[in-house]
Amino acid sequence: MEKMIGIISCNYGLEYPEGIGERRPLAAIPFAGRYQMLDFALSNMVNAGIRTVGIILPSNIRPVLDHLGAGKEWKLGRKEGGLVILQGSDSGIFPRSNGFLLRDLQKNTDYLENNAAEYVVLSNCSNVVNMDCRQAFLQHKKDGADITLIVKELIAEQEDEFGLIAVTDRSGWVLNFEQAKAKSGQSVQRFANMIIIKRRLLLDIIHGHKNIEYEDFMEILRIHASKLKIKTFSIPGYFGRIDSKQTYFQRSMEMLRPEIQKELFWGSRQILTRVRDRPPTKYGPISSVHDALVSSGCLIHGTVSQSILFRGAVIEAGAQVINCIIMKNCRISRGAILENVIVTKNAMVHPDTVIKGRPDHVMVLNRDDGF
Amino acid sequence: MPKKEWIAMLLAGGQGSRLGVLTRHIAKPALAFGGKYRIIDFSLSNCSHSHIDTVGILTQYKPFLLNSYIGIGSAWDLDTSDGGVHILPPFVGEQGGRWYKGTANAIYENIDFINSYEPEFVLILSGDHIYNMNYEKMLDEHKAKGADVTVSAIQVPWEEASRFGIITTDPEGRVIKFSEKPVKPDSNLASMGIYIFKWKLLKEALQKDEARPGSENDFGKNILPMLLEEGKRLFSYDFQGYWKDVGTLESYYEANMELLHEEPGLNLYDREHPVYSTIPILPPQYIGPNAKVSNCLVANGCTILGEISNSVISTGVTIAEGAKVEHSILLPYTTVLEDARVYRAITGEKAVIKPHCILGTESRSDQRKSSIAVLADRAVCGGSRHA
Repeated sequence: MEKMIGIISCNYGLEYPEGIGERRPLAAIPFAGRYQMLDFALSNMVNAGIRTVGIILPSNIRPVLDHLGAGKEWKLGRKEGGLVILQGSDSGIFPRSNGFLLRDLQKNTDYLENNAAEYVVLSNCSNVVNMDCRQAFLQHKKDGADITLIVKELIAEQEDEFGLIAVTDRSGWVLNFEQAKAKSGQSVQRFANMIIIKRRLLLDIIHGHKNIEYEDFMEILRIHASKLKIKTFSIPGYFGRIDSKQTYFQRSMEMLRPEIQKELFWGSRQILTRVRDRPPTKYGPISSVHDALVSSGCLIHGTVSQSILFRGAVIEAGAQVINCIIMKNCRISRGAILENVIVTKNAMVHPDTVIKGRPDHVMVLNRDDGF
Repeated sequence: MPKKEWIAMLLAGGQGSRLGVLTRHIAKPALAFGGKYRIIDFSLSNCSHSHIDTVGILTQYKPFLLNSYIGIGSAWDLDTSDGGVHILPPFVGEQGGRWYKGTANAIYENIDFINSYEPEFVLILSGDHIYNMNYEKMLDEHKAKGADVTVSAIQVPWEEASRFGIITTDPEGRVIKFSEKPVKPDSNLASMGIYIFKWKLLKEALQKDEARPGSENDFGKNILPMLLEEGKRLFSYDFQGYWKDVGTLESYYEANMELLHEEPGLNLYDREHPVYSTIPILPPQYIGPNAKVSNCLVANGCTILGEISNSVISTGVTIAEGAKVEHSILLPYTTVLEDARVYRAITGEKAVIKPHCILGTESRSDQRKSSIAVLADRAVCGGSRHA
């Protein structure tokens, strides 16, 4: 009998990062050259030994399913359990919640009832993190908690909208959690959109509420918080949250730092993703590439600096790409100059086009924008 | 086993002794090539694209890496339950065991395997060649001409014809003569070692040849000439395109370097015919702020902090700051440390070039004449002397 099963919610975040992709769920947003946001949550679960993961799909299922296939790359193409596709509740309103729609969970109680696992790990897809979920689970068991909130402890750099913050007593038990602003210099435990919970407890909570519109599951938990033993587990390493175009860009650029690459991608826990059979990347005789993360199948003849190239990107001679993210199969034609720009998949930028965003206000080019 | 129209038998037992240390511990088809591939990927990918779902792979020489690399064939969509990839090493029967004596003998020993699929046709391939090909077209022609055997052939430069098995044909493509490495070739059509046989016919021929003492049990030297003599219908299939047998260090080096040309003969970028391979999931390559990359092929999982030019850099290679690599092929997971120099060299898998070490000859004036330095798998080039 498995100890833990997982649920990953992809049915939210459809309206951001703004402009990137035709209303693709955040789960399917490409990241760091070859991954999709979903890969982090999924890999973390699989690396903790979880072999049954339910994926709650948004109504636009194709981007997520196209990436997941049969789940083989994540070791989830199995005879029992493995990858389980769960239907998300139809959202006439695109939810922009922190975590998980109660409706989605209610719709899929079968998945929870049909499995004999004792614990469930719930996660969404907004975080770039490579964490040891087993550690979190061991702490959860040891402390006898009902629920463990995975958080990131950090010092607020400025007064900021911090999303859900956990308020704990001195022993680490959560007294409350709330949407709050943090003061500069204040140490906060920011909710990382992942929880560990006993399966039976989760079912009790779900059944205990008749469907109420588009309520967030975390809201429901908050109502019960005083009656439950909730603890936090803080992620020790890099934690990158994405909830806007700017944060997507910032987190992406952080991937150029060797120490972050090392932690995320070269440790003992691998981030698994779909395999695409592209040839190695070719650098032409006059190409000039510095400080760049480059995927396979690219053809580079121009200048690339402080940028991320996804697979199959073509940078023609005379083109300059600085501080940009170029997604898959894009062509940047000769003489084009791009700075602080995100170019989304399959787009072509015409020769000699000059587009410069600002680091604090990057521009997004889509294929249909006609550049 | 379900009946198949055709199955492929892929000969992958050779040592490739002319590749020196590169094949000291692995069979030639397992040798890394082109940054992220192994030589056998080309034949297997061709099978996949030709909708062949059953492939027998004949191994003999040091097959360990090859076997684990192929696995159950998932990378080439050959992990099906009613067919798929089968590794066929020499084995022991009631009369004891035998090593494969020749290319034809290897197939002879596996007649039972082939019989279990009752195929109408058998495609014989070699795992040594670099090329993209759709075998279905060859089969179509084989059927259309009512051939007993079809041999795929490619035109080679006349001055090189003596190196190959040469086929002479009549205007309809019917083979009238085989010449093995002829001193004075009368044709420049070279056999590629790719054959389609009617299975019943091949089975008989193999049994006949096995009974002949003194036969080398080789397709090119024995089976085909025998069938020709018997008046069987042998036709050649004209292959157009890039094809290379990387049997020597020089041809191996050349074939890799050709990938750096503006328009390489071998097209790896054809989205209709990608070359599949098994590689671990690695992050994209990172090119450092002080790195210089010029005219190179670089695979995933590499960290390039130094200078590289005119080179093929395979999966997972690390090049430290200050290091310089020119005109070289670095096989997977090679590490080149600080200020090391690699010139016109081939480094084996997981080889290490220590700081300030120099591998290869830096020859400014005539790059071609200097010989290629080769570092074996896992070897360490240390100190600051020539290796």
